[in-house]
Formats: sequence, C-alpha cells, structure tokens
Amino acid sequence: MKIVIRLFLLVAVVALGWWLWTVCFPSPEKAVLKRMQSLAELLTFKSDITPIGRASRASDFISYFSVDTEIVVNVPELGAHTFSGRDEVREAGNGGFATVPSLAVSFLDATAKIGPDKQTADVSCTLKATVGNDKDFGVQELRFKLKKIEGTWQITRAETVKTLK
Amino acid sequence: MSVSNDMEQPSKPHWFRVVLIGRRPEFTALRIVVLVVVCVVLREYVLLPIRVQGISMLPTYHTGQINCVNRLAYLRHEPQRGDVVSVRLAGDSIMLMKRIIGLPGESVAFHKGKTYINGELLDEPYLKNSCDWEAGPFECATNEYYVVGDNRSMPFVLHTKGRAERERIVGKVLL
Repeated sequence: MKIVIRLFLLVAVVALGWWLWTVCFPSPEKAVLKRMQSLAELLTFKSDITPIGRASRASDFISYFSVDTEIVVNVPELGAHTFSGRDEVREAGNGGFATVPSLAVSFLDATAKIGPDKQTADVSCTLKATVGNDKDFGVQELRFKLKKIEGTWQITRAETVKTLK
Repeated sequence: MSVSNDMEQPSKPHWFRVVLIGRRPEFTALRIVVLVVVCVVLREYVLLPIRVQGISMLPTYHTGQINCVNRLAYLRHEPQRGDVVSVRLAGDSIMLMKRIIGLPGESVAFHKGKTYINGELLDEPYLKNSCDWEAGPFECATNEYYVVGDNRSMPFVLHTKGRAERERIVGKVLL
C-alpha cells in the first residue's frame, strides 16, 4: 500500500512540475495563442467605456501589428479593402473604437503553426463579433501571420478567408 | 433445542442516500463514469449538438432550433444532393448549415430563381419562397460541393453560398 501511495505522490509531483514548467516556459504555440486571446480581450469593450479608455485601447491595438503590417479584408458586406502599414491600421482602429458603441470579440478554434525558424507563426481562427446590443453575431474565418519582433509576437498580415468559394 | 437468530441485520440505508447514490455506491460510480465516457465519445466523434442561428435555411430550420450533426454520416458514402450538412469554418465551434445542390465536377447555375445542374433544371421541393436569382454557372472541382441555404428570397449577394471543399463538411444534419 505504501508503494502505491508513494507512486501516486510521485506521479502527482511530476504532473505538478510539468504544469509549472508549461506555465513558466510556455511553448511558442501557447504564447502566440495567448497573444491572440489578449487581442480579443482588447477589442472587447462595453458601451460605458470612457473616451480615454477608447483612445487607450486604440493605442494598445496598434502595438499588436508590425510596422509593415497588411490587413486584407474581402467580405461581401464590406467589399475588398487592404490596409497597408501601421498608419492605415491606426486610422482604421481609431475610427472603429470611436464609433462602435460596444463590441464583444472572440477568436474561436484558434490554431497556431510555428515556422521552422521559431520566429514566425500562422494562426487560423473564426472571429465571432457582436456589435452593440445586437442579438445576432457576425462570424468570419481569419488567417494571421505573426513574427517575433524584439521578443513580441506581432501581426505582419491578417486576411479574411472565404469559407465558401 | 432452541435456535435464536440474534445476528445483527444490516441496517437499511436511508431513503435519501438511496436516491442520491443508490443502494450500491460503487456501481453508481461506475455507471456515472461509463455515462460520462459515452457522452464525451458521442459528442466528439458521433453526434455534435448544434443550435440554429440565422435565416438562411428558412423555412426548413428556424433560429433557436436545437439539432445534431451526424459526423459518421459520410463514412460509407459521400455526401448526396439534397443533404443538409454543416460546413466548418476554422473549427466546429461555429459552422454553416447549408443544403448540397451541386456535386463534384458539376456546374451550378441560377436562372430566374431556378437551379440548373449541368444545364438541367433541379427539382427542389424544399423551397417555399419565391426567388429571382440570376447567377453562374459555377464549376465545382473534384473535391467541392455547391452548398446553399433554403431561403432564396434573400438577395443573392447577401446569401452565404458557394463551393465547399469536402474536408470542410463535418457531417449531415440529423433531423
């Protein structure tokens, strides 16, 4: 019986150690997905947010993108449009944060593939967005390319994916 | 010779305990484990529960309806024309619910609201709303199915439809 208890304790200690290791030193995949999760949280705000809060979020929003970033949007409702560089993204972000009453964003089914150099990553996910008090929500499949720049994962390209061709 | 039965009878468990964990708790625990495993396996590999949202499958399916997707429906045969299927996006958290009208290699066109497959009129008894769509032809590749909703009263550009790759079709809607 003693052996069983000792074995059980050993397994528990190993499991705890493994968990602590993954928390302290997350894999690149986890780091990238965590970054995307924090972007979704940044894009989620309620209608009672102050103008300063909106401006602060808009400022933080741009830090997720690289200087040469490119965002390609091609959806039937909005048509095709490309935002090139941080300035265009900043402008669009400022406009969005200033005009949208409230927003709830989540990236569902997000998966990350790390490149062989461990410095780039491809992320695919489904965007679920609810604007204002709408009961309906919008969904859009997205694909991101990220690059590790000065120790931070930044989005170098984001594009909408046509689920149905 | 007298025989006395002074052995203690096992005390009868309290009725509340019987209701809560049964007369034999070890079997109850086993049943719970088996039930959880069966539910998880069913959920992951066989039947995917869904809640319908949106108007594109009206009048066949309404917003709020609960249904299931049979993931095993296409193990033995490929999707058929007329099947209502779920098409995944990045994953299966949110999916599109559509009807297959075009099979791989076929050409799909809409003319005066009617559907034509390889130039031949397709009979669609499930359509209840009038339609004026004028589009196509759309050619399906060898691994693509043309899917569309039943609510063709919507303007063509606002209706989500098109060619879905086979690997995106998660399964057939059960009911």
